[in-house]
Amino acid sequence: MNKEMEKYLSAVDRHLKPLPTSERVDIVKEIKSSILEMESDNLPEQQILERLGDPREMAKAYLGDMITKEKGFGLNKLLLVCAFYSVVGFSGLFVIPTLGIIAPVFMFCGALCPILGAAKLADYLLRLNLPFMKNVAIFQFGSYIVEPVPAFFLSILTGAILYLVGKASWKLLIFYCKKVSSTKRDLDI
Amino acid sequence: MNLEKWQSQIARGTLEYCILLMLSRKTYYGYEILQELSKYPIIASTESTIYPLLRRLQKDHYLQSVWKDSAEGVPARKYYSLTSEGEKYLKAMAEEWENLLHAIASLKGEQNYE
Repeated sequence: MNKEMEKYLSAVDRHLKPLPTSERVDIVKEIKSSILEMESDNLPEQQILERLGDPREMAKAYLGDMITKEKGFGLNKLLLVCAFYSVVGFSGLFVIPTLGIIAPVFMFCGALCPILGAAKLADYLLRLNLPFMKNVAIFQFGSYIVEPVPAFFLSILTGAILYLVGKASWKLLIFYCKKVSSTKRDLDI
Repeated sequence: MNLEKWQSQIARGTLEYCILLMLSRKTYYGYEILQELSKYPIIASTESTIYPLLRRLQKDHYLQSVWKDSAEGVPARKYYSLTSEGEKYLKAMAEEWENLLHAIASLKGEQNYE
């Protein structure tokens, strides 16, 4: 093995710098083994070098996607990352707790409303005189208090609306979280 | 005609399968693999293609390798062999290969290819 080959191998080694030493040694050893095989097959030096190609290209083939991953974390990317985390951090401060509370509470109230309306109706129709019932399910518009029967239907309507609002908040919360993670993925950070 | 580009795409897509096929029959060292492949122009390759590929296959645990140090006049050689995971991978690839052959045969209109 002559000087030219040694030079080639050390050039490859130099371009493999991102890799750990143990791996570089192994890579170079294997290429060296190939050179020795070719020499013992009596291939002329020029042909050997031609076949191996540019040492930088050779190293690149080993580094593969490592290079593309490392590249491109410049100023623009840094600003983008800062902007992303600022927006997400700030909006998350409000969006997540607000929706997180609204969603379950509204859905719970939505379910509770018609139940109480039904209880009130039963209390009224069957004259059960259940405790606290006079405080429950009272729909009052000005001084007009709605009768228990229409109040029951009103309670169903109210319950449905509350439930839908809760459900929508829940969906919105999920949408928000998904959107954040998909944006993060797109930015590749 | 852009046949060369297409050929290199085929080679790139099938080299992994070719190497695993070879190693399922016996162990090879790197240069030997190159020699074997060079018998077939369509998949003939050089060091800068095959060695990184071997390394990646090993990283993915499909291959294992061992250095055998030089006897007199013989350079140190790195021998590759399939792991059990590699065998599984090869089996799955072979199935896909059959699927491809079936598809091509039926696209050619060879109806009794079954």
